[in-house]
Amino acid sequence: MSRTSHHKARQYLTGYLFIAPWLIGFLVFTVWPFFQSIYLSFTRYNIVSPAKWVGVSNYRMLLTQDELFWKSAWVTIKFALFSVPLGIVAGVSLALLLNLNVKGITTFRTIFYLPSIVPTVATSVLFIWILNPTIGLVNRVLMLAGIQGPSWLNTAPWAFYSLVMMSLWGVGGSMIIYLAGLKDIPQHLYEAATIDGANAFRKMRHITLPMMTPVIFFNLVMGIIGTFQYFTQAYVIAPSGGPGDSTYFYSLYLYNRAWKYLDMGYASAMAWMLFLLIIVLTGLVFKTQKRWVHYGG
Amino acid sequence: MEAERSLDTGKLKVWLVWIAVLVITVVVFASGHSTPRKYPERKLVRFWHRWQGDWEKQVQKIVDAFNASQNEYEVVPVSVPSSGADAKFILGVIGGDPPDLMSMFSGGVPNLAANGFLTPLDTLMTPAEKDAFINKSYPSIRDIGMYKGRPYGITIGADLTALYVNVKQLREAGLDPDKFPMTLEELEEWGMKLNKYDAQGHLTRLGFLLSDVGYLSHYFGGGFYVHEDGSLELNTPQNVRALKTIVDYRKRIGFENVLRFQAGLNDIEGAASWAFMHGDLSITYDGQWRVEELRKFKPDLEYRVIPIPPPKEGGTPLGGLVGGNYMIIPVSAKQKQGAWEFLKFWSGLDNPDRAAKFYNMGGWLPYSPAVANSPTFQKWLKGDQQFQAFIDILGSPNCKAPPPIANLQFLNDLITRAEDEATRGAQSPEDALKELETKFKEERDKRRALGYDE
Repeated sequence: MSRTSHHKARQYLTGYLFIAPWLIGFLVFTVWPFFQSIYLSFTRYNIVSPAKWVGVSNYRMLLTQDELFWKSAWVTIKFALFSVPLGIVAGVSLALLLNLNVKGITTFRTIFYLPSIVPTVATSVLFIWILNPTIGLVNRVLMLAGIQGPSWLNTAPWAFYSLVMMSLWGVGGSMIIYLAGLKDIPQHLYEAATIDGANAFRKMRHITLPMMTPVIFFNLVMGIIGTFQYFTQAYVIAPSGGPGDSTYFYSLYLYNRAWKYLDMGYASAMAWMLFLLIIVLTGLVFKTQKRWVHYGG
Repeated sequence: MEAERSLDTGKLKVWLVWIAVLVITVVVFASGHSTPRKYPERKLVRFWHRWQGDWEKQVQKIVDAFNASQNEYEVVPVSVPSSGADAKFILGVIGGDPPDLMSMFSGGVPNLAANGFLTPLDTLMTPAEKDAFINKSYPSIRDIGMYKGRPYGITIGADLTALYVNVKQLREAGLDPDKFPMTLEELEEWGMKLNKYDAQGHLTRLGFLLSDVGYLSHYFGGGFYVHEDGSLELNTPQNVRALKTIVDYRKRIGFENVLRFQAGLNDIEGAASWAFMHGDLSITYDGQWRVEELRKFKPDLEYRVIPIPPPKEGGTPLGGLVGGNYMIIPVSAKQKQGAWEFLKFWSGLDNPDRAAKFYNMGGWLPYSPAVANSPTFQKWLKGDQQFQAFIDILGSPNCKAPPPIANLQFLNDLITRAEDEATRGAQSPEDALKELETKFKEERDKRRALGYDE
């Protein structure tokens, strides 16, 4: 072995040794459970006893006999349909506002970003109070305008839409990414547009939004993945998925199957159905990107 | 010179960062890891429970009493938050590091027993202890910890429900507390008289409200049961009647009105903020632990505790459904014998009179008439006479345990869902219970197809 290749091998070894803690963690805590759960989804498994092979029974029951599976899947899809586009519109709008050159803009940016770092459980409890029908802030404000607000979290369909509204609370996280995207748009494009006589709306329509599409695409994909795994807020606010199953999200049902009913095999099958759904949807979004995502600038 | 100074400042910053990292590391890793031991030479018994606040203090007193009573074991209690406590327990068992003893909500006991998480307690009992538990417990309390004829859980804090009545508000409304309704129908009328509304018609005080069909059905001669032979008592005329009564009464007050009123109550369970204490509820049904809370936090409130009166036709008095905290010993516990000794000490299986004071401390129901009739318990009852109503219910043949089936949690969820659907008007009571039974059968068929026993 030449001296150079020996040196290179040592370099590789050193490199792998440095990343070994992460690599081992990834293999043990992610890759192994990932493949193990495929096997478990074909078994009856309660954690303490050995798993018993049941073939495709879990999948067959999920698809043909479990009404709650379809119900919770629909609640989750509906939530994604509302909250993802809403989050994008709110995030982009907020980023545009916080991209203005006004005094104290850094303070505003901090203020709008802060909610996204508040722990989810704390946010959920906060919203339980804000949306209280009698003493909550929202209904108190509505009362000033002479409107009697609904029982937000206790009646269908308001409970569902309250959670959609709540999802905007954390929009500061994506706003920062949009803001970075805005800062990345070359100034000369705007200068050229100004010389061509374009007004603010045209600049937005033909420069800002097209140049932002890679960032919007990224947030769309992450948003879809995130909303399909929506759990904590629903678990804190309506652990039984009520009223009337209107907030029975897929992950909540999966959790109950696994930890409440100790049906780990069935829950694993549910997890794989969710994974496949996310893969399909993400794939579809990727397929459309050629039509609307513009790279360059 | 300037450059040297900035270099020094730079070094200082680096040092400060290192010191901060060190301090944080020490704080994070050093705190909370050592188990506080008073008697390190003794065998450790790790006890997880879900009590917090004032109750946690009472638990600590009981633990201290046990630790002072013998020289072999040291019980170390840990309060685990209720939400996720079951999942933590399961993870502890499969991780090989469970507590030796845990206080768990009764609904989860059969499922954990069926899945092999729990130690059958008869393997730790002497013949005399087994006899005391099987033959001398209150039947409903005993049965809730049983699965397939074997004991897996013993209560130290069973719960029952009865009416709490605000005497002053009754008198103000022209109602005589000494002539309390003998039927549910009369009670409903009293409730309507006690309601108070503001100018917009919103409730400001709730006279009485019916809820919890799982519990109330026992006053109609019903109850939600799955028998060992597989027969079901779910969609029965008695249960339909109970649910219909709940729905009809809610309609009279106004579902939305009740919802708004209840949501506005600053009513945190276990704290001194119970709505009844502050006069927002005139008659309400709640658990026996409230007696002790009222004694502590509102000793001047004139109130009475009365069992729910049965309906006029076909009613069964002194009905009830036991639930609450049950002690379990995980199958992989390291110190089973120590856990059992502590469980015996607390429950009073070996010495009812000694244990009586523990039940009194938290306002808990005793597991057996031997404890209830002990001098210490009787002395306490004289001071807290309202508690007697719960002892009366406990001794009644109409006081039952939920069915000991593995998918009890699933059944409970179905009952809650059916009541929710019916009270919201989304389904009629008849349809809600019909659907409940259908869904339960479907789930049972599904479980059987997967190879479960039931």
